[in-house]
Amino acid sequence: MDSIAIEANSLNKTFKTKVGLWKTKSKSTVAVEDISFEVKRGELFGLLGPNGAGKTTTVKMLTTLLLPTHGTARILGLDVVRHTAEVRKHIGFAFSGSRGLYNRLTAIQNLKYFAELYALDPQVTRKRSHQLLELVGLAARGDDKVETFSSGMIQRLHLARALLHDPEVLFLDEPTVGIDPVGSRELRQTIKNLISLGKTILLTTHYMAEAEELCQRIAIINRGRIVALDSPEALKRRISGDSVIEASIQAGQMQVIMDQLRILDGKTVVELKNVSEPEIVTIRTPEPARVLELLSPYLNPQYIQELEVRNQTLEDVYVTIIKAGGQ
Amino acid sequence: MKDIRWGLIKQQMLVQLHVRTLNLLSLGLFVIQPAVFTAVGMLLSHAAGNAMPDLVYTVIGGGIMGMWSGLVFSSTYDITGDRLYGTLELIVGSPTSLTTIEAIRTLTNVLAGVSSLGLAFLAALAIFGYSLKGINFWGAIVSLLLLLFAMWCIGIFLANFLAWSRLSGGFVDYIEMPIAFLCGFMYPIRVLPGWLQILSGAIPIRWALQAMNESLLGNHDWSFLVIHWAITIGISLVFIAITRCLQDKVHDSIRVSGELSSI
Repeated sequence: MDSIAIEANSLNKTFKTKVGLWKTKSKSTVAVEDISFEVKRGELFGLLGPNGAGKTTTVKMLTTLLLPTHGTARILGLDVVRHTAEVRKHIGFAFSGSRGLYNRLTAIQNLKYFAELYALDPQVTRKRSHQLLELVGLAARGDDKVETFSSGMIQRLHLARALLHDPEVLFLDEPTVGIDPVGSRELRQTIKNLISLGKTILLTTHYMAEAEELCQRIAIINRGRIVALDSPEALKRRISGDSVIEASIQAGQMQVIMDQLRILDGKTVVELKNVSEPEIVTIRTPEPARVLELLSPYLNPQYIQELEVRNQTLEDVYVTIIKAGGQ
Repeated sequence: MKDIRWGLIKQQMLVQLHVRTLNLLSLGLFVIQPAVFTAVGMLLSHAAGNAMPDLVYTVIGGGIMGMWSGLVFSSTYDITGDRLYGTLELIVGSPTSLTTIEAIRTLTNVLAGVSSLGLAFLAALAIFGYSLKGINFWGAIVSLLLLLFAMWCIGIFLANFLAWSRLSGGFVDYIEMPIAFLCGFMYPIRVLPGWLQILSGAIPIRWALQAMNESLLGNHDWSFLVIHWAITIGISLVFIAITRCLQDKVHDSIRVSGELSSI
């Protein structure tokens, strides 16, 4: 059996729209450009990127909802363009937000309807609906109309719907957007459980902590291109072992601190993170001891109110890569 | 429509009834609107100097108008609603084809529209004293079934356009009344100018409706009816064939343009 569940080769998507009052001019927008990656069976793979980076467009091509302009994609060895109907039987997908369900129907009625689209046997549907509602923590609300559900409950019902036909590959597009911290944690636990059941999951998100906690590998996507692809740990190592020093500076004292840091070489990057009071400066440096030595005369509330030295997080890596224009 | 099955028909119809049909808006669509058409028909008939309005064209014709408007409106709203609520992507992304779903939805809308016709018919009988004496009962029944079939064919044909572009709802809206006028919903087709009668010949509804009206008026000429039924079936099948040709093109087109989720 092929060990690759999802395969994207040079995927490209360009949208053409007519513009102008008389729609005489054509405008092309490149949403995804030359994206290639592979996801192994049983892997939880993350697509990380800012809004408009091309994450959802990529997922929609992989789920057969959009046709690629160029390039190919395979799910479990099946081409998404040539074997569309077959691919659809093996995948499940859930997009973020409160759309995608019939609000006037109950949770169970929604699940029954979508199960029928996958030609599930009514007995199987009944059994799986209850199992899945249990899995996503909605067992007590099965007979309630979706219009009475919170965002988090809707998102969990989306997940149950996507799992109805027991797909081998699951696409989750920003599943925790708009969900409170408790709901997000529960959903992340559910996703972990799915991985333990052997599902392959492609998850898009712009929450770093979520990606770091869940994903075995991450592709960072920016302006339609993959700009980094590796495990979270390897991505963090990419910024060559730099440390991050975050300092809260008393108002009006920033210039004094910046003057102290000016003598450092070009490998140290100083960024102003927060311009309101207190001002927060982030220093990424391969020489944390040297930076601390320079700042030590100012370690008092008149200048530096707080100082924290930490290792790079995925968020630091992400910000560095995105700010560098994806290089 | 190879994937059509009883369970799917039942579930789709239930969703349709819960989400779209069984609400106050539909009451207006299937009850109040035909009543308005009927009232206008009777006023026009009276203004034309008729002492007694022709109940087949004014009252029952009002029901047919309500049925047709209900079909067009519901079909437009179905697709627009699915785009708006994000369910169109889920339907298209499932192994069941959108055409199958549209076929069941249109059938539900056509059957819901029968309530308009039924109410109009009851009104003609109970309020306006229409008599069933002398009508060609079986001719009317067969013609009605073929009328529903023809409306269903036109409905699934139009659904293709509605799926193809979010802007096509406007197009479907503005062919609603011309088709009603061309098919002679509220007057005999013979009052139309010759060239319009030829134009209306391309719409299967016109032939089934003419057969039904004639049956209700007591025409027992079976050869006339059979010819009209055969033409209805023939043209309806042409529309089904065109729909089948279009369905793959529409399926590809909406996935190129990204029209599935646009509002």
